[in-house]
Amino acid sequence: MSRRSPGLLLPLLLMLAVLLQPSAPAKAAAPQTAAPQPGVLLLYDSLAAGTPREGNVRELERLLAAYSVQVTVVSLDHYEQGMMEAYARVITVINDPVLTASASFEADVDRYRGQYLHIGYNPPARLQQTLQLSAGLIEEGSGGLSAGDFRLPGIQLQQVPYIAAGRAEKTYGSLTLPGTYGKVPYAMNSGSYTYAPYLDAGYAGRLAIAYVLKDWLGAAAAAGPYLVIKEIYPFSDLSLLEKLAGRLYDAGIPFIASVRPVFSNTDFPAMQRYLDALKVVQSKNGSILVNAPVVMPSINSSDHTLGDKMNSFINLLAENGIAPLGMGADLYWTYDKEYSSAGMRFFDSVVLFPDENVIHMEKTNVSAAFTSSLYSMTPEFMADLTHEGKAMPQLPVSTAVTLNLPEDEAGMEVLLETVDAYWISFADYKQAVHKTVTDSYTVTSADGVLRVNGEALNVDYVPKAVSSDFQYKEEQYQSFKGLFNVQNQFFIVVIIIALLFFGGLLTVGYRLYRRKYLK
Amino acid sequence: MIYNTVKTTLRQSVMLAGFRSSPAFVAAFGVLLITVIGLFTAPYIGMADNGDFFRNIYSNGLYFSQPDYDSQYFGYFVKQFGIYQYYNENGATLASSQSLFISLAIGLNKLLFSSTVFDIRFQAAIYTLLYAAAVYLLVEAITCRMTRKQGMLCALLAIFVFGDTGYTAYFNSFYSESIVLIMMLYVFAAWLLLYRKRYNDYFLLALFVISGLLLTTSKQQNAPVGIILAGLGIMLFWVRKDRIFRVMTVISLVLLFAAGIGTYLNISKEFVNINQYHAMTRGVLKDSANPETSLKSFGINEQYAILKNNIYYEQYGTVDVNSPILEQDFYSKYGFVSILKYYLANPDQFSSILDVAAQSAFSIKPAAMGNYEQSAGKEFRAQSHFFALYSLLKGILAPKTFGFILLWMALVTGLYMPSFIKALKARDSRGMQRMALIVASMAVGLSGIMVSIIGAGDADISKHEFLFTLSFDLVSVLGLSGVIGRRVSGSSEPAAGMSANMPKVQKGVSI
Repeated sequence: MSRRSPGLLLPLLLMLAVLLQPSAPAKAAAPQTAAPQPGVLLLYDSLAAGTPREGNVRELERLLAAYSVQVTVVSLDHYEQGMMEAYARVITVINDPVLTASASFEADVDRYRGQYLHIGYNPPARLQQTLQLSAGLIEEGSGGLSAGDFRLPGIQLQQVPYIAAGRAEKTYGSLTLPGTYGKVPYAMNSGSYTYAPYLDAGYAGRLAIAYVLKDWLGAAAAAGPYLVIKEIYPFSDLSLLEKLAGRLYDAGIPFIASVRPVFSNTDFPAMQRYLDALKVVQSKNGSILVNAPVVMPSINSSDHTLGDKMNSFINLLAENGIAPLGMGADLYWTYDKEYSSAGMRFFDSVVLFPDENVIHMEKTNVSAAFTSSLYSMTPEFMADLTHEGKAMPQLPVSTAVTLNLPEDEAGMEVLLETVDAYWISFADYKQAVHKTVTDSYTVTSADGVLRVNGEALNVDYVPKAVSSDFQYKEEQYQSFKGLFNVQNQFFIVVIIIALLFFGGLLTVGYRLYRRKYLK
Repeated sequence: MIYNTVKTTLRQSVMLAGFRSSPAFVAAFGVLLITVIGLFTAPYIGMADNGDFFRNIYSNGLYFSQPDYDSQYFGYFVKQFGIYQYYNENGATLASSQSLFISLAIGLNKLLFSSTVFDIRFQAAIYTLLYAAAVYLLVEAITCRMTRKQGMLCALLAIFVFGDTGYTAYFNSFYSESIVLIMMLYVFAAWLLLYRKRYNDYFLLALFVISGLLLTTSKQQNAPVGIILAGLGIMLFWVRKDRIFRVMTVISLVLLFAAGIGTYLNISKEFVNINQYHAMTRGVLKDSANPETSLKSFGINEQYAILKNNIYYEQYGTVDVNSPILEQDFYSKYGFVSILKYYLANPDQFSSILDVAAQSAFSIKPAAMGNYEQSAGKEFRAQSHFFALYSLLKGILAPKTFGFILLWMALVTGLYMPSFIKALKARDSRGMQRMALIVASMAVGLSGIMVSIIGAGDADISKHEFLFTLSFDLVSVLGLSGVIGRRVSGSSEPAAGMSANMPKVQKGVSI
């Protein structure tokens, strides 16, 4: 035993030495480049303003968000050598046919070992070699696209590059060239390189690239589609909202209501009526999302009340038996540190709308990603999709068909007809797992059951009339009120007596005067 | 006394740098000097943008050239802007007399400085010169019948009040308050000089009408000013008996009245959403015992009660002020006239909101806007205190109730009433002008308060009530000068030269 102990002791001491070593030298020994992140680095040369491709970078960001991917957006002008090494996936969008990437960028692509997707003009030499790419250019003409089960004929193509020939392990969709030049693959992949030459901000381009991204990212099967009704304010026609909810319920269409938050006067009867209407919506198989508040032009950047405001509004909903399952916001909210960290932090689920009025507080180029993220589409998008059979095939990305709350009954009828015409079986949002957490409440949904702080929520609700009686102004405290009342009455009596007395004196005086001088 | 006047004037005249240092000259020079130091020497004093500048600058061919302009709203004064180098597609968003001065400043800027960068100090320079001239005429009108000592005291008073950078900081901004300030001074001075029979009557009438027109059309809020000036200006008709003067007076008054009506009609069209929003949320709904009932009286959905006390400037809100839902169901249901009717039908609420208005009626420079450039290194919204004692004291000491305003008006009217009645009995139409001027000034000031409340509730009220605070100062300076002229000094030596044909001295408060 005694002879064997030094032999055992040595490895133990060595292990201890390794474990107890200060961490700094270990760090110093680490490689210079950071470990690849699961996020995507999105590089672009220009935003293609004034061309059919304008807005394609933003749409790409929205699609990536819908695949729950964290995106870092960098203009090629600001690209630094070695930057892409930190990411597992890189997308480059080249919108300008004249622009060529720098030699250092080409060298980086050469060395890059992650998944590389190139969209647009001038793919890097390495990609061209791997795919044995032979590219062509459509000057102008009408073509067609097919992606998945969808056909998109009659697309106006202008200065569009296409894959004339190449060696691919995989191809995606097809592009019908103008005239009689036949069909070519829309996009192709070989190894770690994927090339999609065409992306505009139109419906066709977005759908086609959505299929490519789904495969490229290895995304799970898409959820939805869902029906989202937005532009719901406390002063919207609430009876119309309730009616619409009832009609959708009767038609067996589950839907999501993205409701505007209220941060003040939440004790007013008007707010109670709003909450009642939302409870009716929820009872009619409607799921509730909190819409992002309206952001006013920045007056000062020191207003950090968003988190508290959102927290209290969500709490108010939960207190009233309403389960907010996520948030509806414009995409730019996910690219703003303040909005995403203070306003969206309560939710793991979002619906991202296209940007309308962008007002940043603290802009960032790294997006916030969410477990469940829906890609919002307009009804026009849906109407433009042609497919085999009557029923709408499954879309590649989790989508939400977004409509505004109609202004009147006629508008409601149009909305119902539109929804009916899609031949889509809309999904029930609360069937999926969603979670909202505030300081006081945890709201969850799964398999159609809503829970608030772990307890199942009974969504049945019979609307009640809300009383308009409310004390809007606090009665001011009046000290010595009783005393002043007595005092008032006392003086009234004194003044009346004094008036009578003086009246009497005047009468007497006048009589004396008459007797003395007017005889 | 009249013979004495000429003699003593000559004796009292002192030569200063080649100019005769009359009280008017001393006051104008003093104001000019203080303003130049405040506005044209570092750190430059100006006024930060509260979001209103775009309405005035884009239509005049300027744009915000600083990339971080948005972060300077309310906090810092910005002195340089870009000049459009190509066709300006922004039509006039606002028909205002201010455009004339901005265009003039741009012309001067292009001539002397740059054709691409506009320095707002060119505008400030024009305003400063005009203002100094206005102060000269005003002090001349006040002191021209006083002894030198009295006159000098009045001149110091005028410097103390009108040299205050609370007033002049507006020159380094695109707020139309600059025009309101200068033109109100000209209107007041011209009318008072007519009363004093100082300078040529035709020249003064022309000055009165031109400055009155510029004042009325400087701001939509000033629509009632034209109407008030036209109404009370009828008194000017009897100042002279010659036909040509009377015809010109009538034409002038018609012009002023038309300008008032024109500006009012412009309000209805351009009653900007922000103001309209505040008129309801910070006005009608603010002190309403039952906002839902108030809304129903306008035919508006009672659910809008939720917007009570809401303010556009809050960073996060429920609805966009420019959203279609508000356009369709909210703004379309009320306007200036319907809000006025509502207040007349609810006097209790009106009186309580008047008290709210009185809270800010005595501040000259709104505390919401910073006065320094970002480069000056001061904190966000930092206020300048350079030569601002008067505005500071006024803001602190004035009793801030509407009752005080009524009391002040009653006191001033009462003080000047004996001299007016005397002039009336003597059929001295020129002698009656001072009372007309004072009543007109008070009415103009009061209109400032009323229009602010009806037009935008209590939001931004300290800036909206500028017209009142200015009228208050003009009338008060006149009143105090009267006291100085009568009581402070026993001397009766006039300060400035005057014509032998002066009006009869009245036994009123002052001369």
